[in-house]
Amino acid sequence: MSGSLIIQQPGNSVVTDLGRFRGPRFGLPVNGALDQFSARAANILAGNDDGAPLLEITALDFRMRATTDILIAVTGAPLHLTVGGHECQQWEPVSVRAGETVAVRQITGGLRAYLAVHGSVEAPVLLGSCAPDTVVGFGLRLAEGTELKTSRSVPPIRQPYFDLPLFRLGLTRPEFSSHSVVEVTDGPDVDEFGDTAGLLYTTEYTVSARSNHIGLRLGGDLPERQSSAEVLSRGVPVGAIEVPSREELLVLHRGRGVTAGYPVLAVVTSRSLDVLAQARPGHTITFRRTTVPDATAKYRAALRELENLRSTVSTVFALLGIGSQPGWRQLAPAAGS
Amino acid sequence: MSATTTPTPVEVFESGDAALRVVASSPDSEANWSTVHSLAEWLEAAGADGVHGAVPTYDSLLVEFDPGVTSARQVRAFVLLGLRQLDFIGAPARAPREFSVPVVYGGEYGPDLERVAEHEQLSVEEIIALHTAKSYVIRCLGAPAGSPMMDGPDFPLPVPRLKDPRLSVPAGAVAVAGRQAVIAPAVAPGGWCVIGQTPLTVLDATSEPLVPYVPGDRLRFHRIRPEEFAGYVGRKLDAAR
Repeated sequence: MSGSLIIQQPGNSVVTDLGRFRGPRFGLPVNGALDQFSARAANILAGNDDGAPLLEITALDFRMRATTDILIAVTGAPLHLTVGGHECQQWEPVSVRAGETVAVRQITGGLRAYLAVHGSVEAPVLLGSCAPDTVVGFGLRLAEGTELKTSRSVPPIRQPYFDLPLFRLGLTRPEFSSHSVVEVTDGPDVDEFGDTAGLLYTTEYTVSARSNHIGLRLGGDLPERQSSAEVLSRGVPVGAIEVPSREELLVLHRGRGVTAGYPVLAVVTSRSLDVLAQARPGHTITFRRTTVPDATAKYRAALRELENLRSTVSTVFALLGIGSQPGWRQLAPAAGS
Repeated sequence: MSATTTPTPVEVFESGDAALRVVASSPDSEANWSTVHSLAEWLEAAGADGVHGAVPTYDSLLVEFDPGVTSARQVRAFVLLGLRQLDFIGAPARAPREFSVPVVYGGEYGPDLERVAEHEQLSVEEIIALHTAKSYVIRCLGAPAGSPMMDGPDFPLPVPRLKDPRLSVPAGAVAVAGRQAVIAPAVAPGGWCVIGQTPLTVLDATSEPLVPYVPGDRLRFHRIRPEEFAGYVGRKLDAAR
């Protein structure tokens, strides 16, 4: 049974997914959820495929009303979540009855929250992704009164025993702090910075207010390029650390322009990009040097944790009779069916 | 078939846990460009699990992958296999298409035209003549939004970038910087010198592919008068042949 979500207070929110992975070859950034772990976890907790469209709520308070009974999960930065006026837990599936208001308030400690709905929401797709692209003007930015179509309704599930948590899913939640350690590997152009490259690991950097989904700007002691030769434009990875000016370090995130002409000093690991996604202006950051095999191992460990969560959620949902199958199978009917 | 040319030397650099940078390092820039673009096509066609795609530019190729599915080591081996295949089968042959681009030069359409003329110590008319004199090979698709990056016109000197980049450059802006030329497909900030504007629509975000050209295609500019601009608005950039 389909229904709608009516946005009452959009704050700064969009519908997104894990990103437009086919975009870079066409000159479009990958974009998508900046904190990929939290986004995947929200979808898994809502019984969806990891890559299903979900809401990314950045910094500001958010409210919506559901027209049917639905099941949601909210992850990401610590915040105050209420449904129908009652306080609810983050990082857990939460029932919402038809007519109730979901309110996300006081996003603190981090910057971005993710709200997934069982069965997901409808959103326009470009090159296989609904992720907004501010440069080409694509995507679903939520406004007051925006109506999002949902494809599945879930009857309310309420804990019969007062105050006991309904779900014990055993997920290690990420830590949120005003000081973060971010792991990086040597960039392909590290040699161009000579001895000054070491400053990256001994300096505490402060996140500037001019940071966004394209990149974070960090203030502090800056490594300096030792040559001034022109660099031909070339593809730069998400996570690339550049020193384009004498004032700030630039750390490219998922909205980055695909090509650039600055030398790449270091590259933030896939896991630590999630940490940067939650860094607020004024937060401090120190960088720690690691290796590609170590970074890959940590990334895979996080994926295994999400797989464990998925199997727990599937078991619990089957016991509760939620979705005879994972919700995403309904979103993508098999050929010939 | 056998290889007809000497293989171009290539270096592969780590670029984080989810990308590799491949650089062709022969003294022949044409061979470097051809190598990274052929390799990108081979990688796309081969479609290895976990490889998201490849971004070729001039002498360099960024290969992006999912470290949950594959690894930098595996992708490096895959890239080297692709290079061996290219040595064997040669670069794929494709007939380049040519696009004809009407441009209004100067005035509000090209606010930096006079500045460029002054820097080159040429007249405005000479700058326009040089810009429309040749056809340009599209070397790669760049930021923002699939911009056609081209080798620049035959100006005497490289064109310096603006000291204060503009916060917003309109779609269709025709610009030059260094020894490069470009058209802006979408509104974006920019530090290149804007010498004109085309009324044609370059980017169509509702259709795939978003831009009509691919690297290797050619582009030629021709001058139109300001009063002709409106007549072209709404038309898409299309291949002439």
